Amino acid sequence: MKLYRKEGNILQILSFPNETVEKGDYLLVEDAEAGKALIVQVIDVQFASIPGVLEELLRSLPDGGELIQGADFDPLEIAPHITYIQDASLIVCKIRATAENENLSPSSSWLPSRSQSTIRKLPIPTLLKLAKVDGKLPIILGSTKDSSPLTIDASSLDGRLNIITGKKETGKSHLSKLLMLSLVGYKATVVVFDLNGEYVSLGMTSDEKRNAYHDKIHVFAPSQNFKVALKQLNLHVLLGILIHALHLPGTSAREFRRIWQSLKERDMLNMYELGEAIRNWHCNQLVRDALFSRYYALVNSGFFTDEAAGTMLLEECLFKAKEHGGAIIVNLKNTSAIDRQIVVEYVLGKLIELLTSWKLAAVFLFAEEAHLYLRETYWDDIVTRMRHFGIFTTFITNQPDTIRENIYRQADNIFLFNFTNEHDLEVVSRAARVDAETVKFIARDLPPHHCLTLGKAVRDFPMVVKVKALDVKTMGETRLFFREHD
Amino acid sequence: MLKPKHEPATVAAIDTSSMKIGETNTGMLIAVRGATVCKQNKQYKYMRLGPFIFHVTDENKKEVYAILQTAYFTAMHEHAHQGLLNLIQMPTRIATLLERWLQTSLAKTLNNSLILFDGSLTSGTPDTPTQQMKETLHAARERGNIVLAFSKMTTLRVNGHLITEMLPYYKPPYMLETIGLKPKPPIVLFGDVYVARLTHGSYAFRLDIDKEASATQKIEAVEKLLGNDLLSQSYPETLRLAHILCTFTANEVIAMQHFITHKYGLKILNRPDIHRLLFGPFGRGEGCS
Repeated sequence: MKLYRKEGNILQILSFPNETVEKGDYLLVEDAEAGKALIVQVIDVQFASIPGVLEELLRSLPDGGELIQGADFDPLEIAPHITYIQDASLIVCKIRATAENENLSPSSSWLPSRSQSTIRKLPIPTLLKLAKVDGKLPIILGSTKDSSPLTIDASSLDGRLNIITGKKETGKSHLSKLLMLSLVGYKATVVVFDLNGEYVSLGMTSDEKRNAYHDKIHVFAPSQNFKVALKQLNLHVLLGILIHALHLPGTSAREFRRIWQSLKERDMLNMYELGEAIRNWHCNQLVRDALFSRYYALVNSGFFTDEAAGTMLLEECLFKAKEHGGAIIVNLKNTSAIDRQIVVEYVLGKLIELLTSWKLAAVFLFAEEAHLYLRETYWDDIVTRMRHFGIFTTFITNQPDTIRENIYRQADNIFLFNFTNEHDLEVVSRAARVDAETVKFIARDLPPHHCLTLGKAVRDFPMVVKVKALDVKTMGETRLFFREHD
Repeated sequence: MLKPKHEPATVAAIDTSSMKIGETNTGMLIAVRGATVCKQNKQYKYMRLGPFIFHVTDENKKEVYAILQTAYFTAMHEHAHQGLLNLIQMPTRIATLLERWLQTSLAKTLNNSLILFDGSLTSGTPDTPTQQMKETLHAARERGNIVLAFSKMTTLRVNGHLITEMLPYYKPPYMLETIGLKPKPPIVLFGDVYVARLTHGSYAFRLDIDKEASATQKIEAVEKLLGNDLLSQSYPETLRLAHILCTFTANEVIAMQHFITHKYGLKILNRPDIHRLLFGPFGRGEGCS
């Protein structure tokens, strides 16, 4: 390999057919005299622009597109040299760091010698060691191209905002399950908004036996085993539901506050009394109507009950998870859009309540297709306020444009699976921790179950990893009409 | 006026090319390649020879040329007509030598075919001795072949105009005979010179046909060419392919330089362009040398 040109932080290297380099590989451009080396990552492999190649190709097809037959007497055997030159490739690399005395710096301001530099592949384990991608809480994501394991530290997800994205059936949910279970394994508290009921069987192995996580997975099915009594609720949580999920106007919200306080003073906080209170409250008829319509929405959700017995208590499970680690799976599979928002508002309100009172230390929140249940204002909250409360969110989506641009800009880690759509890649490339070229060139060619890991978890050295398999019962398969019969 | 004759006949063409691929401290590196293309039963087949690479210096140029001449034309009477060998002309001289050898080889191996040469049937020049051309044409005639030579460029003029530009308003294909051409000695014309416009389009070429062939044979040969080969812009495809196949592309030049560097450890020099150095962007205008 030979250094060809450098433009900004893009390095172009000429490579010959006997040197195999692929997208995502790391190369070390060593200048022995300068005592420094550039660590670069291959983002594209192109044909080298060799003069005369077009003539060469045209020459071989002169007869109506058919190859002209003949014999070559080539006593000096020049033909292999022609092929060698013709097949030369141009490797486009992104400079990631400068290595000097085993220390890495993000600088790309110096120029290695074009004639004297040596270029060789940098094995991923060596790079991981140089970049100090290790830690006391290892999470093995899978294996890199050279079959070495890629391990990130669980603490690199702590206090961070993460995004897992990629097109359908590339393995996003699989990775999120892997991260989630690994965090649970390190006694973390995890809450999952499970849109499709994919996480409910994580406590079981693929052959339906209990696994090590069985007792730590708590599945909450709204309106079934997950209901709340008004007595368990704080006013501001319920007001949050009414205002944000059910769009109660401000005037009506003020009246509701009075009704709530009146009932609370009389120790009559239940659904029946709430309905009666609204009916008999002295207020404007329009306000009453507004309150009634929301009241019936709450009643019809089936999520609110006066009979708390037989229902799981979110608080209890969260405290249990705080001690031993655990995951609260909120199964939103059979929940309508409005009810989903009610449940999410409740869970988030409860989490904030527990976190602000320091009853909980921190929570890792995994949100699948969050645009389907998160209200507008939460997006900003997540990157600003929630982090300070101790809610560290991981968004999982196959529609990257549903996540706001500011979320990408603030994201600390991005786990990017295959995308072929230019628009999708464009959206993801807005992330602050990665350059657009890396996203566009590498992500487009990722095979299924391969993920480009970007951000703090890999110390800003983008790594392609084949996500390891999990021995858990999968529930996220697409239901098919034309299923193969045995 | 000509009528295409579809009676099957083999059409063969020869062309060579040469190139200076680098300079050394003592001389230059030359690459030469030749190609023959045959059209038989509606199929083109080629034979390509080379590239042959030579390191020619002022010291060895005569020796190299003499060795090649002897090797190619052992039966020739002598090679006294080396002329003044100029180092700069060596690529062309060696390529012509290869071309003459290929022409002779085809003339001696094909039967009842049309053999197309690139250029004219002029001899008496340092690289085309009269005897050599005579023997090649004789060998061709003996086996029922007929030689047609197409010149892309000509200097022949009538009333100050190039013969290929004075075209009458006839419907092609046709050819016009030129009469009264008297070359100055030692130049000898072994062919009758025609202006051939074989297809529609504005191009016409100088066409030399073996003088010894009868007028009927000459016309029949061109008509057979029209019936057996593709012609584009009045130029036969077989000859065009021979030219394409022997020409060096930039890629091949790099490959040969790569071969020389790796095999012989020769360092190719990039001499500074003096014109560029002195005159900058005005260094090499169109047509400057």
